Amino acid sequence: MSEASTSGTSGSIRRSSRTRKKKKSQLPIGIAAGIVIIILGILLALKDPKLGLFWFTGMAFGFILQKSRFCFTASMRDPSLTGSTTVTRAVLVAFALTSLGFWAIKYGASQQGLPIPGQSYVVPVSFATVIGAFIFGIGMVIAGGCASGTLMRVGEGFTMQIISLLFFIIGSLWGAHDFGWWKLNVISNGKAVFMPDVFGWAGALVVQLLIIACLFVAAHKWENRKKEKNA
Amino acid sequence: MAEYELDCLGEACPIPLVKAEKKLAELEIGDLLIVLIDHSCAMKNVPEWARKEGHNVEIEEVDDGEWECVIEKVK
Repeated sequence: MSEASTSGTSGSIRRSSRTRKKKKSQLPIGIAAGIVIIILGILLALKDPKLGLFWFTGMAFGFILQKSRFCFTASMRDPSLTGSTTVTRAVLVAFALTSLGFWAIKYGASQQGLPIPGQSYVVPVSFATVIGAFIFGIGMVIAGGCASGTLMRVGEGFTMQIISLLFFIIGSLWGAHDFGWWKLNVISNGKAVFMPDVFGWAGALVVQLLIIACLFVAAHKWENRKKEKNA
Repeated sequence: MAEYELDCLGEACPIPLVKAEKKLAELEIGDLLIVLIDHSCAMKNVPEWARKEGHNVEIEEVDDGEWECVIEKVK
């Protein structure tokens, strides 16, 4: 922290002018990386079309995550830290869109009498989920990012989060090692709920979207409440 | 009117914001606070918070992945 004298102007805010080094163009590296990604993707697709698909969707996911500054950590943390819920609402919109997509895929499969894809992800919900989510929340705020955020920022070159990545890998391996015990003794005590079984196909979609809409309205109210208090 | 620099290079997301919040509280009205950031998340939430508080804010990418957030305390 240093105090600088005020002289000269730049932009709309008056501030001391300073010399800065010229930015190096990253365009050649970007184009080279893009070509390598496409070639690797084609090679993977030739080996197994699924691998190619995963490669390109993964790349697209990372790119969008980085460019949009989407952050699941911020969506949970900023409402209490700054009272801002813009990211929270963005996450809710994303949830609503993915709900529609998943619903369409599952409904389509069930209408055609096919096995519904992704049913192995309908897992029991219990108090363990709440405790686990709470611990994860503390961890991700300290680490400065959730799983996807940490991966994205390591790719961006934020060196501190390489430590996060290291312990993220250690924790994942440890978790995978002990997961059988947890599943047998804790997780399977809960009840698995597949919403279309309870509310019907249309009902499940309506209930899900209504819950998201309520959260969206609550988030909006929360932000304005803080605003009024500050004004 | 004084100008202060807050070095938050290498600090992950909520820390630059919390530091800026504390530092800005010590400043006089009309002072400038320049927050140096290299965490992409903080580069978004620091200006957003400061604007919501009603201060004048400018953000500039000074190097690849490095930003300067200039906050003018107005109240």
